[in-house]
Amino acid sequence: MKRIDALKVLDEVFGNDPLVITCGATAREMASISRKKTHLPLLDSMGLTTPVGLGVALGHGGRVGVIDGDGSLLMGFSILPTLKAYAPKNLIVVVLDNGQHASADGMFSQANVVDIAGAAKGLGLWVAECDSADAMKAHIEARSSADQVSLIFVKIETGNTPNIPFYLADPAKLGADFKEALAG
Amino acid sequence: MKEANSRLQALVDGLSDWGIEQFVYVPSSHAAPVIRGLEAHGVKSVMANREEEAVGIAGGLALTGKKVAIVMQDNGFGNALTALATFAQSYHIGFPIFANTRGGLGEYNAMIHSISDPSPDLLKRLGIRVENLGISDSVEVWRSSTESVAKLAVIQRRPIVTMFESLHPGMESIK
Repeated sequence: MKRIDALKVLDEVFGNDPLVITCGATAREMASISRKKTHLPLLDSMGLTTPVGLGVALGHGGRVGVIDGDGSLLMGFSILPTLKAYAPKNLIVVVLDNGQHASADGMFSQANVVDIAGAAKGLGLWVAECDSADAMKAHIEARSSADQVSLIFVKIETGNTPNIPFYLADPAKLGADFKEALAG
Repeated sequence: MKEANSRLQALVDGLSDWGIEQFVYVPSSHAAPVIRGLEAHGVKSVMANREEEAVGIAGGLALTGKKVAIVMQDNGFGNALTALATFAQSYHIGFPIFANTRGGLGEYNAMIHSISDPSPDLLKRLGIRVENLGISDSVEVWRSSTESVAKLAVIQRRPIVTMFESLHPGMESIK
């Protein structure tokens, strides 16, 4: 599965629920297919996607989604024990794992040599692993009434979708829109 | 000891006056009276493992409309700078950060001043406002400034840092 195909499914399955999206090509590809006030793409804050999602989930009553990457999660790996400690049941973290930093010249990610899903399991987190759009969608729908935070690791193809333009949105407007959407 | 703690209690009271709903902290022996004081007031807390993680969590909470603060040490700003600049500042997310200072009189750590001393200047270079509360400021100033800073951060939609002095609990006798 290509990343952009996974993003199309994630946009559909999370609907108008808050969705925090990691930086680089992931944010650009999502913006190329869907832009919503409930989307909070982090344009240059690698490693911060899941912490922000945790904060949103702790303050928001409904379901909250996070789209992270293996490289970004590894950059802020200390969030995993924090997720376990606070475990908001309304938070679903989807990690799109292509085994590389696709936005950094395709340099390989250490997810190639360590089992990051296994590490999350070892911390006592609820974890699912899959490599298809149908399985990813099924896990998300099943975990929408879960009793603790969910992490879904999804294997995707390497590389980026070609000819996707830079996403030049004003972060201040993205933040204001997201806040307004949550308040509404 | 009593005097220092009355100021830290004033910081807790100032945050209560503001109506703080949640706080995110990184463990610190110096800030422990503030952390425990807020928890004793029934304020929900989240313990973060790193300062940039705290910025992410607090920023997420602030986006939901919660009145949230960070409590940490000033030597953690080296970890937090990128998150503060590219997230909280850039996305216009306002919340107060209260950081105890290290590296000054009474310090027992030989190298912590190397990051603590330049932290205010580093923050100012990012455009982040830095206020100070010292042991020469009155308890009343600590309380009112704390509430004012928290309100201002929300109004300005930016993080604002308050550096507060507190001697290490084990070093109070030198004061």
